[in-house]
Amino acid sequence: MGLRVKVLALLVLAMFAALTTRLWFLQVLASEELKREAADNAVRLIEVPAPRGVIKDANGTLLVQNRGSVVITINRQELGDQTESVLLDLSELLDMPADELGARLDDPRYYAFSPIPVATDVPKRVAYFIKEHQEEFPGVDVLSVPVRRYPLGSAGAHVLGYLGQISKAKLKDPGFADYSPGDVIGVSGIEGIYERYLAGTRGLVKYRVNSIGENLGLIGRQRPVAGDDVWLTLDAGTQQLAEDSLKAGIQHARTVVESDSGYLKANAGAAVVLDPRTGAIEAMASFPTFDPALFTRGFSQEEFERRFGAGHSYPLLNRAIQGQYPPGSTYKPFVAASALQRDIVTTGQSYGCPPSWTAPFDQSDPAAMQYVFNNWTTANLGFMNLSTALARSCDTVFYPMGYRYWDMFYVNDEEVANGVTSHEPLQHDLGSFGFGAQTRIDLPFEQDGRVPTAEWKQSIHDQYPQSFPEGEWFPGDFILMTIGQGDTLVTPLQLAAAYGALENDGKECVPHVLDRVVAPDETVVRDYQQNCRKHVRIDDKYLTYVRDALTGTMTGSGTAAAAFAGFPFNDVWVAGKTGTAEVPPKQDYSWFAAMTAAGGQEHVVVVLVEQGGHGATTAAPIARHIIEGLYGLDFSQFTDVAGTD
Amino acid sequence: MELATGRVVAGERHAFRHIDPILLAAAIGLAVIGLFAIYSATHQSLAAVHLDPGRFVKRQLTFLAVGAVVLMLAVSFDYRLLKVYAGMIYVSSLVLLVLVRTPFGTSVKGAQRWFELFGFQLAPSEIAKLALVAMLAAFLSELRGDLTLQDVFRTAGLAAIPAFLVFLQPDLGSSIVFAAILVGMLVVAGTRARYLLVLALTAVVLIVAGFQVGLVREYQIERLQAFLDPTSVSADALHNREQAEIAIGSGGLTGVGFGKGSQTNLDFVPEQHTDFVFTVIGEEFGFMGSVVLLGLYGILLWRAFRVALLSRDPFGTYLAAGIASMFALQMFVNVGMNVGIMPITGIPLPFVSYGGSSLLLNLASVGLLLNVHMRRFV
Repeated sequence: MGLRVKVLALLVLAMFAALTTRLWFLQVLASEELKREAADNAVRLIEVPAPRGVIKDANGTLLVQNRGSVVITINRQELGDQTESVLLDLSELLDMPADELGARLDDPRYYAFSPIPVATDVPKRVAYFIKEHQEEFPGVDVLSVPVRRYPLGSAGAHVLGYLGQISKAKLKDPGFADYSPGDVIGVSGIEGIYERYLAGTRGLVKYRVNSIGENLGLIGRQRPVAGDDVWLTLDAGTQQLAEDSLKAGIQHARTVVESDSGYLKANAGAAVVLDPRTGAIEAMASFPTFDPALFTRGFSQEEFERRFGAGHSYPLLNRAIQGQYPPGSTYKPFVAASALQRDIVTTGQSYGCPPSWTAPFDQSDPAAMQYVFNNWTTANLGFMNLSTALARSCDTVFYPMGYRYWDMFYVNDEEVANGVTSHEPLQHDLGSFGFGAQTRIDLPFEQDGRVPTAEWKQSIHDQYPQSFPEGEWFPGDFILMTIGQGDTLVTPLQLAAAYGALENDGKECVPHVLDRVVAPDETVVRDYQQNCRKHVRIDDKYLTYVRDALTGTMTGSGTAAAAFAGFPFNDVWVAGKTGTAEVPPKQDYSWFAAMTAAGGQEHVVVVLVEQGGHGATTAAPIARHIIEGLYGLDFSQFTDVAGTD
Repeated sequence: MELATGRVVAGERHAFRHIDPILLAAAIGLAVIGLFAIYSATHQSLAAVHLDPGRFVKRQLTFLAVGAVVLMLAVSFDYRLLKVYAGMIYVSSLVLLVLVRTPFGTSVKGAQRWFELFGFQLAPSEIAKLALVAMLAAFLSELRGDLTLQDVFRTAGLAAIPAFLVFLQPDLGSSIVFAAILVGMLVVAGTRARYLLVLALTAVVLIVAGFQVGLVREYQIERLQAFLDPTSVSADALHNREQAEIAIGSGGLTGVGFGKGSQTNLDFVPEQHTDFVFTVIGEEFGFMGSVVLLGLYGILLWRAFRVALLSRDPFGTYLAAGIASMFALQMFVNVGMNVGIMPITGIPLPFVSYGGSSLLLNLASVGLLLNVHMRRFV
């Protein structure tokens, strides 16, 4: 029996040997590393988000500020096989369909590993319930996060932009090296373009923590630096005015039946108000608009499509800078100015305004064809000078000018060879007004517009022979350009800037929405330096002539006379131009561009309404409404105006 | 008759002179280390919730005082009386194990293991351990000749009943202790190696069957998996292991000093005053402290085996061997899980871990060892 006890004792001895060996390994051999791990364990670095700068209008009215929101996030990877039950429980708590919650989880804007906010501004009661029953909600987190607040609702949404998670492409950009996946960043508008000022610098806090992450005291801290405030040139009142006018005008347009296409669809539009002396944007509206506050949570693809898709005419699009449209007759003043400068027309001559004009057959060119170009009205308006041709928007006065650009410059190699002029002086002059290139406004995703040239036509034909079956440059290209059709495209902002140059004696200012950036300590970090230059090489007398001619649009037999009936022109100077752009197979696009001045104020107002019919029908009354608001005049009602170009 | 009584009384008086001071000192030494470790592990957390930082130490001291009385009681009678009552004690302990599953018992952390008594918790599984030792000692000491396979299975059956009952609580750790007591005592009884093998195979088959019918709880499987394949389990289980190892390893050779362990102070190790109390010693007293602790266990077990060898009858030998097996296995599994070489099971570190039932029964066991030791000449 003694032996057996010793056997047992030997077994026990082996146990001691095993434990001692293991302790030697842990406490002597691996000790250094484990000591380091223990040190790391006890210290936690917490990033402290910097308060994002606010956005204010020219008068200091808050357009965007911050507030705390209780947000429920779901981490897809932690949900596991409990997805269904968790979503059902949540849907009951939040009074939201589980399908919708589930769909938000599929939001492609988020990474698989990052928590997706599925509900914002959750009631405290729900937040506490989830916290208390955390084990029933794996992967569900309740956070208080700072989110953007928009005191004026959707006003200026397109200019202000919205926030979202940083994209994979941006993360690869070395300029955004300090951002991590899941970080929130300005995606569009001012939020996007002045991200660097608004974001501030995040802080770090070093805590001692215990195993469940409870804070046991501060070790060190690096305070976050609040973002800078951005002051805009935008005027909240004017912005609201432009948006309200645009919306009211569009709603009225939908009650109007024009020609044979039935009710006007008037599905979308844009309005720009700027000060031509500085380029400051006072209002920039795009219809339909959206609520930027929605972007504080995730969307299902279906919801995103439903809210921001074709069914709602893509409300996220800022049509003022991203929409490209044929300018129609609003282009004519610039063509007229060029034609005067190039001696194609004169101020003293009279021109016939027949219902149609036929391009001359060119004997020397067997390929040339004969074209008939119609005026916007079938009536013969008789003879008129250039000024009246602008006021009445006579197409058949402008068509021959286009042919002359062909005749005098394009095919006349001799003069071009002598260096007297370029091949395409019309395009050159239009370009000097800023057409065909970005205005360089401080907003992202601005479009170029298009001033077609022979070279462009050939290259686009080579690239897309299906969509552009013709690569050769014809007289018709010049002819259609004179009335702002053909391949010509402008953005509403480009048109506004060009009218600004017209009002400002040829001096064009780069449009801008930034006024200044102010640091939290009130120092001005950046003050917008206006950038005004005289690119336009057209004599002042011609610019003045055209500008004066456009006052004729507003009265008498001018195309906007009906729309501006009863307007106090003695108090407020207004010169403008209607435009009716053909975009087949759609209904006509309605344009109005106006220059106004009174009491030391100067403004350019440009309004576009897609499928809004004639310029005088929809866009001109909207512009009138905005002008009335700008000068504190009594508002006129939106009424049916006879369709003139 | 008179004479006989006088002899016994004289023997009794004589017996107390043969008490084993080394065994007693080792047990007391372990308990004192335990008090320090419990204080270090708990005082900050208690203070954080505005409770007396000495709360757990004071309670453990109370248990020690009660334990001292229990120890003296265990020494006071002739251990051979135990052989007579072993069956009754064994059956009573089984009844308690069943009763604890009824509304009489209290559920803590999902396991029904305790009786609530005067504000203290009494774990019948602890009583059952000692009851089993006594039962098996009584049973084995009655067997004559070499153990047959049938004897082995009958002995195993006696251990299997309480092992199964505590397993249902669920308390896998205590089941393992019952198994260890059985194996240790069978070895001392001279069971042939191949019988032990047959027994082991049977146990494996039964455990696998237990898996199949769902008797084994998910978290038990998880803990075993955590041990076998650290990548397969939940972050939680892995976290416990890692934190325990970090605590012990960061102690280094000499430890960071009493009350200075960051792992300990910041609550990184779960259950640190009970199952993971060894991490406090490892972190704050280092390899040296750990070895001192193991050394005390070494002394305790050496003396226990010595008692087994010195015992005047097989019952005493079995009793001592069973107790030694119980101590050794609990020490090994507990320290083993702290250092990451054994799966995590709820086994306290004898004499050191906070907990009344375990301490009382361990002290009672020491009392029985002393009892056998001092009556070796009687």
